[in-house]
Amino acid sequence: MKAFQRILTVFLVLTLNFFLPRLMPGDPLSYLDNESPGSDSPLLVTEATRQKLLAYYGLDRPLGEQYVDYLRGLARGDLGWSIYYNAPVTGVLLGRMRWTLLLMGASTAIYVALGVALGVISAWRRGSALDGGLLVGTLALGSAPSFFVAMLLLIVFAIRWRVFPIGGASTPALFHARGVARVADVAAHMALPVTALVLTHTWGVYLTTRNAMLGALGEDYARTAFAKGLRERAVVVRHVLPNALLPVVTEIALRLGATIMGAMFVEVVFAYPGMGAMIREACLARDYPLLQGAFLATMAFIMLFNLAADLLYSRLDPRLRAT
Amino acid sequence: MRRSIITYLKWFCALGAAGVLMSCAPAAPGGAPPGDPPAAAAQDPVVYTCPGEDWGYPTPFTRYSRGPGYIRMSFLFDTLTWKDEHGVIPWLATEWNMSDDGRTWTFTLRGDVRWHDGEPFTAHDVAFSYQYVHDHADQIFWSGDLARFERAEALDAQTVRIHLSEPVAGPHFNVFGSVPIIPQHVWEDIDDPNRYLAPEATTGTGPFTLAHYSKEEGVYVYEANPDFWGGRLKVDTLVFPNVPDVAAALRAGVIDEGSFWGNEVQAVREFEDDPSYRIAAGPSFWVLQLIFNPERAPFDRVDVRRAVAHAVDRQALVDQVTHGGAVVANLGIVAPETAWANPELPDYAHDPALARTLLADAGAAGAEVTLIQAGYDREAELIRADLEAAGLRVTVQSGDRTTVDGLLQEGNFDIAISGHGGIANPSTLENPTWPAPTSANPTYDALFTAQAGELDTDARRDLIWQLQAMAADDLPVLTLYHPLMWVVYRADAAVVPFYTSEGIAGGIPIELNKLMFIER
Amino acid sequence: MSGERTVRSGTPAPDERRGPTLNWLAVAGLALSGAFVVLAIAAPWIAPHDPTRLFEPMLSPSRLHPLGADDVGHDLLSELLYGARFSLGISLTSSLLSTLIGAALGLAAGYHRRTGALIMRVVDVFLAIPRFPLIVLMAAFLRPGPATLLLFFLLFGWPRTTRVVRSQVMAERGKGYIEAARLIGASDLRILTRHLLPATAPIALPRFLSEFQHVIVAESGLSFLGLGSPLVKSWGMMLAYASRHPTILITDLWVRWVLPPGLCITAMVLALAMIGVSTEMWYNPKLRASGRRIGERRVVRAGSEVARDRPVGPRAPAGGEYDLRGSVHSDAARPRSAAHAAARDGALRAARD
Repeated sequence: MKAFQRILTVFLVLTLNFFLPRLMPGDPLSYLDNESPGSDSPLLVTEATRQKLLAYYGLDRPLGEQYVDYLRGLARGDLGWSIYYNAPVTGVLLGRMRWTLLLMGASTAIYVALGVALGVISAWRRGSALDGGLLVGTLALGSAPSFFVAMLLLIVFAIRWRVFPIGGASTPALFHARGVARVADVAAHMALPVTALVLTHTWGVYLTTRNAMLGALGEDYARTAFAKGLRERAVVVRHVLPNALLPVVTEIALRLGATIMGAMFVEVVFAYPGMGAMIREACLARDYPLLQGAFLATMAFIMLFNLAADLLYSRLDPRLRAT
Repeated sequence: MRRSIITYLKWFCALGAAGVLMSCAPAAPGGAPPGDPPAAAAQDPVVYTCPGEDWGYPTPFTRYSRGPGYIRMSFLFDTLTWKDEHGVIPWLATEWNMSDDGRTWTFTLRGDVRWHDGEPFTAHDVAFSYQYVHDHADQIFWSGDLARFERAEALDAQTVRIHLSEPVAGPHFNVFGSVPIIPQHVWEDIDDPNRYLAPEATTGTGPFTLAHYSKEEGVYVYEANPDFWGGRLKVDTLVFPNVPDVAAALRAGVIDEGSFWGNEVQAVREFEDDPSYRIAAGPSFWVLQLIFNPERAPFDRVDVRRAVAHAVDRQALVDQVTHGGAVVANLGIVAPETAWANPELPDYAHDPALARTLLADAGAAGAEVTLIQAGYDREAELIRADLEAAGLRVTVQSGDRTTVDGLLQEGNFDIAISGHGGIANPSTLENPTWPAPTSANPTYDALFTAQAGELDTDARRDLIWQLQAMAADDLPVLTLYHPLMWVVYRADAAVVPFYTSEGIAGGIPIELNKLMFIER
Repeated sequence: MSGERTVRSGTPAPDERRGPTLNWLAVAGLALSGAFVVLAIAAPWIAPHDPTRLFEPMLSPSRLHPLGADDVGHDLLSELLYGARFSLGISLTSSLLSTLIGAALGLAAGYHRRTGALIMRVVDVFLAIPRFPLIVLMAAFLRPGPATLLLFFLLFGWPRTTRVVRSQVMAERGKGYIEAARLIGASDLRILTRHLLPATAPIALPRFLSEFQHVIVAESGLSFLGLGSPLVKSWGMMLAYASRHPTILITDLWVRWVLPPGLCITAMVLALAMIGVSTEMWYNPKLRASGRRIGERRVVRAGSEVARDRPVGPRAPAGGEYDLRGSVHSDAARPRSAAHAAARDGALRAARD
């Protein structure tokens, strides 16, 4: 029953993914003409040309037919052709996905490590000025809008003091670099976006860890460990922390599912070629095939990480194993 | 259990490392195979960097029609004729003549041209190109005008004859200076040029070859063509990174030049006192206008439209919104810097009292109208205040560009703020209310068709002036301002950007004319 | 010495050393957010100028215009003050409404199995809808403005609350006292309002605060992307116009145009977060500073220890607590899934998201 419900939800969402972009007024062709400086004269698209283009992209067929084709294509693994980027949707998605994954992976790894470490310290030194400072500090950073933090980082570290590159994912002139040079280049371009994401996301993991640690420190087994005479640090790190990490794991997994769009602002500010910025452009351009593919990817991600959260939790929590 | 957590953490780090390694293998769709560094010059290679974004894979058919996609492609492909800062110059064609009826053009081509892959360039390629582009014109957005193209034939290896069904006025704009010449041996079997993304697709005769293109990063890297027929190049590598802010990148020294437009003049002024930069100014051939919906009251009456013209303070828009980055627009739409602009057009002076009277007389006082716009919030604020002072009740509705364009195309609006470029080309007069449909006006349309085929420049200019006078009198649109353009460039660079006379090719106003990279 | 024992750690300490206790967090949070609310309400009286009035563009800060003027000539300080009205107004309204609606739906979903299943399907679909295209869609159809924004935040605010309230209700529903109430003939409505509703308060309050914070930041984000209401004075629109200014990154303009609205948003959201954290502490006594500490030698009176063990304050739903009502339903004690475990191990934490 649960499985059926899940499938039904997936189907509903797929259908929504198809119809939602098409509900928006305008169509993909309106972005093919132009209004920016540096472009040709406005294209006097005659009705005939318009019809031919609609036919070329398969947009003139009845909606039901397009829907069936969409489902068939999904079954084949063919996500269609992006009108805005003039490239196969799969190619566009993969190209953007690897940068998003890189950004997401690096920042998640860092803010998880940082959040856990700070959370443990906070719980350990509960009540001290350090605890208070960490709490207010991480909360304050997490309260700031991510594009605000990103802009400030850009101004201070890329323009005033030219420590990091001003945007983009890599230095174009170094496109042929390999190995260490390439890693260093990509890392330098990633530094500021990752910092912005880390600063604004640490608070969640920190709070969860802190609370979980506080709860776990009060448990009987912790008391026993202390009573046995073990050193504080040993008790905290080796006995209490692993148990306290359970809810943290869930939290991380759930957060990861939402990070595709979460990095959008940071990507826009730093011109970083991620999925978030692409989805925004595709929405504004009404690129139906690309939007369908992107939402599919997003949904797959969320479901994947939710599933991972469930699996991990059931494996790590012995109480669930007994079910 | 402790071990499990650590195991999972290790997995996590491994995934992260895999991600890093994955990103270290750049995917290069098209362009030179990855792994080849640019050919080293005798001394340090000269690299020139301009900001940009993704404008499509730079073949004539896959480049995006929005934005400077044409320019990116023009570094690789040549046309029969070209333009410099003064006017039309020979390019792939050394000489040309036109038959008396204007329908046949014969071009003599250069003999020393080779394609990037080494094959010789002949007149057969030219004939093929015109035919191919004409045949696929509906699949690609093409602002050039091959509607009157009939056929092309290669008379010998260096002579080509192009036949038109009717004479075309200003052919170097839309035809001979626009259509890129593509190699027959690459394209003759390609049925869907829109989707042809192989490395061979960028084979042209131009001064550069494509070394690297990344769609998602929006970067291009071009390498100088050592066998370029047009002479030596001033740079070895041309790089287009994608920067979030041009002024900031310029200040940070990441780019060698940056172009600015309209109210970005405020950024240009920050570089005025800096001796390491020079500034060149040029027209942008762009117009912002108020489009009236002639099907809806009260704008179906010309006196109401004239009242609006008196109500809106266009100088204030230029001063307060663009901060001097624009000039008050020519009511006849065509760019005031060109000879086509009619200097004697009626003016509607800013006179709120007169506007109020006119509106009241027309019975439109208190009429409720909706003003739609996308991205012109500041202008909307001022215009709304002006219109309300004249007696209209205005609601401003904003949206994203596609939505507003959609509403305009459907004719579902009262009054709108919208703009477009290409006004150096008189063909812009065909549809003054673009993207909204223009109501049919037989006299106007007949005049327009006449000028499109008029080969005598003076006669053509007269016709165009008449068209503008009609537009200024009837006011289907109220033109607001023409933004200007600037390029700020490094004083010590060998490359000096300039603005092409009447725009590059079909009227592209930016400064990236490939001539600036060639030693002249 | 007989009544006293020196113990190492894990032993409750009586009073001192507050640190991040209930008290100063809540006080600071309430004071800061209260200050913003007062400023927002008093804006028409304390703002130096009408924010829609146009002065000279780009005026530098002066006595007449403490923050100067923006690119068309609006006084920035007045914009900031009026911006507080809009940003706080829309966030408060939408979070309040969405919490109420979400709680009501959650109660219904938790109580009736059938309705519950249906409502949860709708929740799942709503949670899976990508937000960005929906706001573009809404902005395209409706007029981008305060009403559209409100509707948008309402649409996305209620599902999470419903989910969290529902799991809480389901956990409570199985408890003895509910069963007892039903047996003595209490109607469904009475059970819902008299017993279950108060039990959901600990969940609903952090959710409300969390939603409030989220909408303030989201409004600024949407305005930044150009989907806000352009003619409205809000903190987000100030940031949006500032970020589009050609010289914002190469001059010091950002100090008076980007920092004030950005810091206001940060401060207000921080204040709410502090209230939220202290609320969590109130309901979950383990988190209090007056609870257990490690590494400390304390002198306690014999016999006082046991009393300290009892959780003080409202019944906390956190897992692992001894249930004062003495429930014997063992399967309620074992988490059924990760989400359920998360809900139990820190229902407040899950609600905080």
